[in-house]
Amino acid sequence: MIRIDPDLCLGCCSCSNVCPNQNIVRTETQDKRSIHWKRCKEECDLCVEFCPAKALTLVPFDESVPEPEVSFDLVACKICGSRYATEPMLRRIESVLPAESQKDPEGLEWIRVCPTCRRNIEAERATREMVLGRCRKSP
Amino acid sequence: MPVYVDVARCIGCRSCEVACERVHEGLGHVKVHFVGDSASVPIFCHHCEEANCTIACFSGALFKDGERTAFDVEKCTGCGLCSLACPFGVVWTDKIAHKCDLCDGRAEPACVTTCPANALTTDFELASRRARVRAARTAAQGGRR
Repeated sequence: MIRIDPDLCLGCCSCSNVCPNQNIVRTETQDKRSIHWKRCKEECDLCVEFCPAKALTLVPFDESVPEPEVSFDLVACKICGSRYATEPMLRRIESVLPAESQKDPEGLEWIRVCPTCRRNIEAERATREMVLGRCRKSP
Repeated sequence: MPVYVDVARCIGCRSCEVACERVHEGLGHVKVHFVGDSASVPIFCHHCEEANCTIACFSGALFKDGERTAFDVEKCTGCGLCSLACPFGVVWTDKIAHKCDLCDGRAEPACVTTCPANALTTDFELASRRARVRAARTAAQGGRR
């Protein structure tokens, strides 16, 4: 059976992806992600091993312990407002990346922007560069 | 050795997207973005020297292999941290992660060989020569108004 530390869980669903018995169920609505760990008798510890946050531990089977469930509000993109990640996942990214790389040249905190908008920003930057190149006179 | 994009040449036909999907069993790693009516820009993995995706990946599925940012599908757990760590939004997670592998095993990436406008190349020298020629021409014309 799996015990979970909800304070450590990122809500990334790694465990649910690696579970060979579909005992970890992920449900996602537009603005919420929930993970439900079914009471499992297996001695397999794939989910424990592959948890990036080390939030899971293997404990002896106990019928009386309620099945844990954790819910996360999905964070909205600062630009388009689409919900794209859980808060602990973004915090984790902010903690592992070097601080100086967390803002783009215009000072935008890009981690709080969804991948689609990040690509849009890159496309706009490349276009600006091309247009400037067309207009540049010799020094 | 990333794929270099010449935005001035891109015609927005999305052939690169299709070529990428064709050789990667339907999961493409390039997306053409349109900037109003002024340009179309295919957005690629930059194969960053210090790649954020490899820093964020906890299982060792993403790693640097020479200049390439490589991906080992066997090690991926689909946590999606890499997608959130990529500043350009070009590491994708659909159950498991997938990203540009520069068409490992092919002489040239499929997007490069397919592009009908010759907007893509892996040859840095060619990309930089084109940019210099264009800059020199614009300067000689006194800059476009």
